[in-house]
Amino acid sequence: MSYTIPTISPYTPEISLLVAVVLIFLLDVAGVKSRILLGGATSLFLLLAFLEVLADLGTWPLQGLSTLPSGYLGTLQGPVIFTSFGLIFQGIFLAVALIVGFASISDPDEEGAPTFYALLTLAAIGMLFVAVSADLILLLLSIEITGIATYALVGYTRRDRRALEAAMKFYIIGALSTAISFFGASLLYGAYGTTQLSAFSTLPANHELALMGFGMVAAGLAFKATLVPFHMWAVDVYDGAGPNVAGFLSGGSKKMGLFALFVVFVAAVRVFGAAEGYVLFLALGSLAVITMTLGNVLALEQKTMKRMLAYSSIAQAGYMLLGVAIDTPAALAGATLQITADVLMKTGAFVVVGAAASLGIGPLITDYKGLGHSRPGISASFAIMLLSLAGMPLTLGFVGKFYLFFAAVEAPGYFILLAIAGLLNSAISVFYYARILRLMYMPDDSKAPASDGHSLTHSTLGSATGPATPRWASLRSEITAVGTARWITIVSVAVLLVLFGIYPTTLVGAMNSAAQQFWTIGF
Amino acid sequence: MSLDLSPLTYLLALAFGGTLLTFFAGSRARWIALATAVGTLGISIWLLANFQLGLATDYQFVQVTHWLTLSTGGSAGLAVNYTVGIDGISLPFLLLSAILTLVTVIYHWDERKNPAGFFGLVGLTNAGLLGVFVALDVLLFFAFWEIVLIPMFFLIGHWGGTRRHYASLKFFVYTHVASVVTLVSLFAMVFLGNWGSMDFGGSISTADVAALNVQSIPQITQVLMFGALFFGFGVKLPMVPFHTWLPDAHVEAPTGGSVLLAGMLLKMGAYGLIRIAFPLLPYGHVAAEPVVLGIAFLSIVWGAFLSLAQRDLKRMVAFSSINHMGIVLLAIALWTQLSVTAAVLLMFAHGLVSGLLFLLSGSVHHTFGTRDIPSIGGITSRTPILSTMLIIGSLASLGLPSLVSFPAEFSAFLATWEALGWWILLPLFALVITAGFYLWMLQRLSFGPAHGIPEKARDLPFNEMLAMGLLVSLIVLYGILPYLIVQLIPHSAIFATQCFHGGSTVCATQP
Repeated sequence: MSYTIPTISPYTPEISLLVAVVLIFLLDVAGVKSRILLGGATSLFLLLAFLEVLADLGTWPLQGLSTLPSGYLGTLQGPVIFTSFGLIFQGIFLAVALIVGFASISDPDEEGAPTFYALLTLAAIGMLFVAVSADLILLLLSIEITGIATYALVGYTRRDRRALEAAMKFYIIGALSTAISFFGASLLYGAYGTTQLSAFSTLPANHELALMGFGMVAAGLAFKATLVPFHMWAVDVYDGAGPNVAGFLSGGSKKMGLFALFVVFVAAVRVFGAAEGYVLFLALGSLAVITMTLGNVLALEQKTMKRMLAYSSIAQAGYMLLGVAIDTPAALAGATLQITADVLMKTGAFVVVGAAASLGIGPLITDYKGLGHSRPGISASFAIMLLSLAGMPLTLGFVGKFYLFFAAVEAPGYFILLAIAGLLNSAISVFYYARILRLMYMPDDSKAPASDGHSLTHSTLGSATGPATPRWASLRSEITAVGTARWITIVSVAVLLVLFGIYPTTLVGAMNSAAQQFWTIGF
Repeated sequence: MSLDLSPLTYLLALAFGGTLLTFFAGSRARWIALATAVGTLGISIWLLANFQLGLATDYQFVQVTHWLTLSTGGSAGLAVNYTVGIDGISLPFLLLSAILTLVTVIYHWDERKNPAGFFGLVGLTNAGLLGVFVALDVLLFFAFWEIVLIPMFFLIGHWGGTRRHYASLKFFVYTHVASVVTLVSLFAMVFLGNWGSMDFGGSISTADVAALNVQSIPQITQVLMFGALFFGFGVKLPMVPFHTWLPDAHVEAPTGGSVLLAGMLLKMGAYGLIRIAFPLLPYGHVAAEPVVLGIAFLSIVWGAFLSLAQRDLKRMVAFSSINHMGIVLLAIALWTQLSVTAAVLLMFAHGLVSGLLFLLSGSVHHTFGTRDIPSIGGITSRTPILSTMLIIGSLASLGLPSLVSFPAEFSAFLATWEALGWWILLPLFALVITAGFYLWMLQRLSFGPAHGIPEKARDLPFNEMLAMGLLVSLIVLYGILPYLIVQLIPHSAIFATQCFHGGSTVCATQP
């Protein structure tokens, strides 16, 4: 197969990130260790790349800046294809990197800073390529670029032994999953005679071989996406890594795994589903239900915030898997929306954990007791993220979950059971999120009961014993304590969650058409 | 996006905005909460004043703004709109919600346990309730429905009595499971009925309402869907045998929480039945009528007997709610113009009266240190105002003429007689029991020799008196001039009961 040499302009986001990586390395050599400078430069480049992707998607008012040649979108360019679906995911990946990169400007200065930003940017480049791959090998290789960068990212703080342990664990599991994926890819090559993703929308002659190949690729990708039973590593790694890095893994590298699952399987599931009957859908559906249930049930009994978030992240992966388990345009759009929501709320939540650590708050959930009164800004933002995770109305999390469950009801057949399972699960999840809210805002809950909220006499009225009024002064001290960049990140993530929760119209519109197109073409 | 905002949008914006401010207002929270409550009441009264009676068969103050489109594969997709509008059925509930919120804020004026949180949550409950009663879109309706749950969970769980954790969890589990069942059934209705959008009113004119009709759905599916909706809304109502969350939640809830719970949250279930389950699934409710009637009778009688057995004043009032909501369910089940009018009026009356009674049981508790009826007595001599209020509240609840419950119960029983004949004896019998337990309670608590009254017991403080006085004056006002509310309802009731039934022919001839 001969590939034509592609024009370079569509790759502006990738190139600008490469420039950033080179720049960071040069700055490192020049002896610049300042996080403000390094992080600022990285964030700027990530922002530029993000805006460029928005422009490519035709977002008002940036549409004039698009660098895609006309007719480029949706046509195969060798191993690469630019689709709106892929571009949306590029945007999602860049948003995660931007959140993490900008927030970690507030991390304490230490020797690893240039490494951290270079690795973060490299990981983002890998993700960008995942989003435009039209060939299984390019897809897996791009995943590996991100993989290697993230293994190092987890262990970049050389002083923290737990982070090193996590990095080692992550590396071994990652290498294993890559090996399995590539072995699966070789089987698929045997079955199809090509590794082009577009080929997977046909039924090959030897379809047992193809099924086995798909199974192995799925297993490899399921590690990345933290689907049960390949989820065991995730909790330890998220727990051991720094909070920002954990946010990047949960928001970025996991979503990359899910996107890869979509790309490889959306067409294949349809074709094989027609050939094999409902067995395949049953398997995928139960995988999704098991993942969400296990994640939620285990999250219920966690004592530390990071492990709780890690399990809730596994549960979220279960919801998102519905996108390919139901395999309709609506389900894909719903999953994309839910992924967008999760990127904001879960990455944001991990950033909050980092902020809490910088305030001297311990790792336990009970350590967050009373935070609502002492640190009003980040607590309110965290509360919004938790409510969004629980799927409460007025947040983006509600719209995403609602759309997914809607898709399950809308799809023909027995998918309505998935909606019921999902709804019950989301009812379970409310409890562990609500527990944190109660701890943060109602810390005195274990004290003696107040009868009817009144005391027996009215004589002592007026001596307000409530918490001190939050004032601008305390907010300013909060910003100083948390770090300006981190504080801005947390608050803007929360604001975005509410804004998109109230006005999801354009976001959903873009995802609908992208998912429809993606579902029709198959990659 | 049109910028033609409905006054209802301003109402919601005020309620939600005020709530947000309240949460962050610290010690000034009560003033902001008061301003918000007065503001929402003001807008509700403005709506009442500008509501056009002649047009009452259709929704008024409608705003349809596209919110999002759900992809459904192939076709144009399913639109979800921000659609709001009110008719004569929802307007009384808006008024009631605003009134009860104002009363709650006044009653809890001296709340000292985290006042910003308390008033914020009360405001959020109100905002969510207003949303439920103006929403004309399935998703919007459900979103507001869910919003109401959260603040109530916290109100019970944090400001409640000794067993508040158990009670709040039980409340949450019952109502949340009910919501899930409701949502699935609502979705099924939207799909199987091939709706073009999720609106069930507002964007569709009266004549087109048949387009929503789910007559094309197989009858057995209709019955199943109706069953799911009936269960979902009925748990909220609550109906026997799914009523057990109610006494626990009520007994543990703070006074204001109980007022909103009994006054408004129970009404959400009945409103859902009137607005969605009954009109949109005509075959379902016809088929299920014996069951619905049976449950209604059971709730009426069972609720009355349970109340009779209670020693705790608040628990007694809570169980009497089951009895009253049973009459509401009976009236809805009959599904005639008169009976639906009666149901709405009954709920309006019950909101005011049970609100008053819950305020009273709160006051009794903190004045005398207990709500146990036998252990205190003869309170009239020491606390005449409290006792007077208690007498008025009890008489209103048992349906004394010239107080608001009387016209409501009378029309409900009239409708029952028209439709069911001598079956009316059953609820009438329960009515006698209701009168019995209230009078018995008064005999023991208000009259007789004084005993069990602590030395420091004082009569009502000003703010509690004001809150109760407000309710009492409304109870008397609407008791003497019931048409002030009644005139709103019948046009909308005939629309609900008949337009959806055989399609649009009936509606076309409506005034």
